[in-house]
Amino acid sequence: MAVYVYSIVLATHPQRLDGLHGVGDPPATLRTVRTEMLSAVVSDAPEELRPKRRDLGAHQAVQEQLMADGTVLPLQFGFTTVDDDAVRAVLEDGADEFSERLRALEGCVEYHLKAAQDEDALLRQILRESDEARELNEEMRSGRSGPELPLALGELVSQEVQARQERLAVEVLDALRGLAREERSSQPTGNDFLNVSFLVERDNEKTFLGAEQDIAKELGEDFDLRLLGPLPAYSFV
Amino acid sequence: MTMVPQGGGTISRAGGGGSGNLYDILELILDRGLVIDVFVRVSLVGIEILKIDARIVVASVDTYLRFAEACNRLDLEEGRKAPSQLTDLVGEVTEGGAHGKAKGALSGAADVLTDALKGGHDDEEAEQSEKRRKEPEERRERPRRRPAARRREE
Repeated sequence: MAVYVYSIVLATHPQRLDGLHGVGDPPATLRTVRTEMLSAVVSDAPEELRPKRRDLGAHQAVQEQLMADGTVLPLQFGFTTVDDDAVRAVLEDGADEFSERLRALEGCVEYHLKAAQDEDALLRQILRESDEARELNEEMRSGRSGPELPLALGELVSQEVQARQERLAVEVLDALRGLAREERSSQPTGNDFLNVSFLVERDNEKTFLGAEQDIAKELGEDFDLRLLGPLPAYSFV
Repeated sequence: MTMVPQGGGTISRAGGGGSGNLYDILELILDRGLVIDVFVRVSLVGIEILKIDARIVVASVDTYLRFAEACNRLDLEEGRKAPSQLTDLVGEVTEGGAHGKAKGALSGAADVLTDALKGGHDDEEAEQSEKRRKEPEERRERPRRRPAARRREE
């Protein structure tokens, strides 16, 4: 039977799985596949697996509980292999590589930060500070405008939005990066201008959280900062 | 940080620095994490759609027109009362307010992902109860922002 793989930990990790269940409906039972150096948490793979809340939650809950007792390499959601022997082979072949990564992540957690700015507030700011944008806007509002005017205003504003948000993203990153061991940014989505994960040492966690709060305070209520964590180091495995 | 299963499998989180739910970290669970090349990834129906939905398109005619329209609509008087520098706000915002803001808002990508996920799957009741739980917050936070995200979907 196919095997769903959740995490890899050192063989010395306690691997408490009590109270947890695996993916699928009904939920699969969790077990471990052990080698001398490493251990993988697995379950039988359900015949059909879709990224449902229940399954994503089960995958995440395994990582969180393992993380409470030590360092964990969380797998990406949805990976399966043929049987326990195949898992064992991967653990043996990759023993050095996985152990080294586990050592590198020891005592570290991931924090994920997203940030957005209220769009109206941003547009007001642009109209206040750019004479050209303000004039174009007034002209459009007066009703005398031709069809090219909205595009001219929109393009100008769009460039301003991008430039300002890029600057803000850099400022936030600069303020936090000194407190993290690694960082990984990705393309912000929706209205966000920042989407970044930090690898933070447990010893540094308080300072990091304090710094993030200071930034949130300084930016003020037009901004929406969502900091999530501590998480298993999904972005740094 | 703990994950506490509540009625219908709803996930919430206690302790730790964040207060998000599963949706906030969807992209981490789905897109990051260790990939072992000899393993096979199960087909994740709906995930491709989800990524396209979330992509931002800044330099497009649609975006230009939307921004122009938004500028036209703006009440600039309200803007004059607002401070022109971000730093002017320091000291005016109470700690509780800023904290609540940073903690409480669930929006942006997560919501876009939420919709995509819900749309792609006629899923279990848990999602419905989760949605209901979030609604009051969304009603407060989202109205001005959602149209923006929506219109950028193409």
